[in-house]
Amino acid sequence: MSFYTIPFILFFVGFFFVYWFVCNRSLKLQNLLLLAGSYVFYAWFDWRFLFLLMGSTLLTFVLGIGIENAEATGRKKALLATGVLVNVAVLLYFKYTNFFISSFVALLAHFNINPGLHLLDLVLPLGISFYTFRLLSYLYDVKNGKIKPVKDGVVFASYVAFFPSMIAGPIDRTKTLVPQLEKPRVFNYDMASDGMRQILWGLFKKVVVADNCAKIASDVFDNPAFHGPVLIAGAFFFTIQMYADFSGYSDMAIGIAKLLGFNITRNFNYPYFSQNIAEFWRKWHISLTTWLTDYVFTPLSISFRNIGNAGLCIAIVLTFLVSGLWHGANWTFVVWGFLHGCYFIPLILKGKMNKKKEIPADRYMPTFKEFRNILGTFLLVMFTLVIFKAESLAYAGSYFHRLFILQGASPHIMTSKWAVVMLFIVGMFAIEWMNRAKQHPFENLQIRLPRLGRWAVYNAFFILIILYTGQAPQFIYAKF
Amino acid sequence: MEKNEILKIVNDIFVDVLDNENIKLTDETTASDVEEWDSLNHIQLVVAVEKKFKIRFKSDEIRSWQNIGQMVSSIQTKL
Repeated sequence: MSFYTIPFILFFVGFFFVYWFVCNRSLKLQNLLLLAGSYVFYAWFDWRFLFLLMGSTLLTFVLGIGIENAEATGRKKALLATGVLVNVAVLLYFKYTNFFISSFVALLAHFNINPGLHLLDLVLPLGISFYTFRLLSYLYDVKNGKIKPVKDGVVFASYVAFFPSMIAGPIDRTKTLVPQLEKPRVFNYDMASDGMRQILWGLFKKVVVADNCAKIASDVFDNPAFHGPVLIAGAFFFTIQMYADFSGYSDMAIGIAKLLGFNITRNFNYPYFSQNIAEFWRKWHISLTTWLTDYVFTPLSISFRNIGNAGLCIAIVLTFLVSGLWHGANWTFVVWGFLHGCYFIPLILKGKMNKKKEIPADRYMPTFKEFRNILGTFLLVMFTLVIFKAESLAYAGSYFHRLFILQGASPHIMTSKWAVVMLFIVGMFAIEWMNRAKQHPFENLQIRLPRLGRWAVYNAFFILIILYTGQAPQFIYAKF
Repeated sequence: MEKNEILKIVNDIFVDVLDNENIKLTDETTASDVEEWDSLNHIQLVVAVEKKFKIRFKSDEIRSWQNIGQMVSSIQTKL
């Protein structure tokens, strides 16, 4: 039940009216409805895993209160460890068992040993990577005294299962979402209309830009006969697809939350305008980056602080290895994460990690040097994404190898469709560049444009969406 | 040592590490109040503080600080 399918729209319209016009008298009732709605939404995909979600939620809820009530530090630590172990074990089991088995079998095969292990028939529970991270950060924050445990079970369960950000984030922290769940929500027309505009922009990025790029990117990636510049084009279209798909999804999730009166975490801040890799990661999948910074990088950098810059380098590479593995159980993701971690090393050594050099929002164009940095960062991200997209390291290797074969014609693939898609891409980036100081390009459109102009914009985008909807069934990040 | 004196020394360390003369720390200052102070150079600040005062913090302690005042209190207990 993706956000822009008929079943979801029907579900949401019904939900919206009951939420604001029937349940609005009681906060308790509104939260109960939100929880019921979130569970229905989750069960729609696969009802069996609803029980897993409920079990993890209940355990974490009880442990949170237990940690608060425990007097001795040792007991607090033991309760935290229990929660972390169980939640991580569930995630590892569903997501990584087959990866471990196949890697182990492959390793033994080098020594001509066949351990006779077989892969398990496992389905990845939807959103598990996202909600597990919410549960883990909750337990750590309670244990470290950063937050008080949530005492209301309905509030806690709604926080974990909050349907707008259930399938693919943003990974909201307790202190962002729970206070909003605890106080009455009053319908705010401006917030709701801002949400609608953000959904429209997200929808455009997802169905017009990402899904059309997806078709081209998979045509190029799936055909081993291609070589030369076509492969650069394939990597380019996939790089655009990744951004438009995931940031488009995030915009829709944030917009839907706004329609229900919630401000959730921003996930993207125009990352492809970044001038170095550190800035890129501050602006790409922000909720994951800040999560990894707080719970992986910071503890590691504290442990390694005696060895100076080397400690920082080790901490950052390990953090990105975790990030890679989080994305999926495949060596391609591990290598992708490892490379991104390594890209930080020159910045750490040069001390350029924290130098903020944002391009002022009122400036029309970047300078030549800024443009060169933006392009360089983009190309680095783009070529590394080839490994992310490839189904195996061997395939990624062959992709790079074929990229350098310049003789002989590649099979014909470029069509006039490519030009149209390029036009959408340029349009998307131009609009985002001009609005890069805003949360999303349509923010405050009601102030910036008269009613007639606004409706012209909405209609133009509706028409584009109807005419050019590409075909890609699901969000990339819903797999993770 | 008085808290005020410690705060003054910590302020000098921040000015030095973050390379910004205009930093004026108070007990309530947090990372979001100082533009250059982020999670990546946070640890460099901690190391500089440890060196200057010749003390050693525990990991849990470093992670529990919510503002400069709490960091200063931590330093004071170790002197």
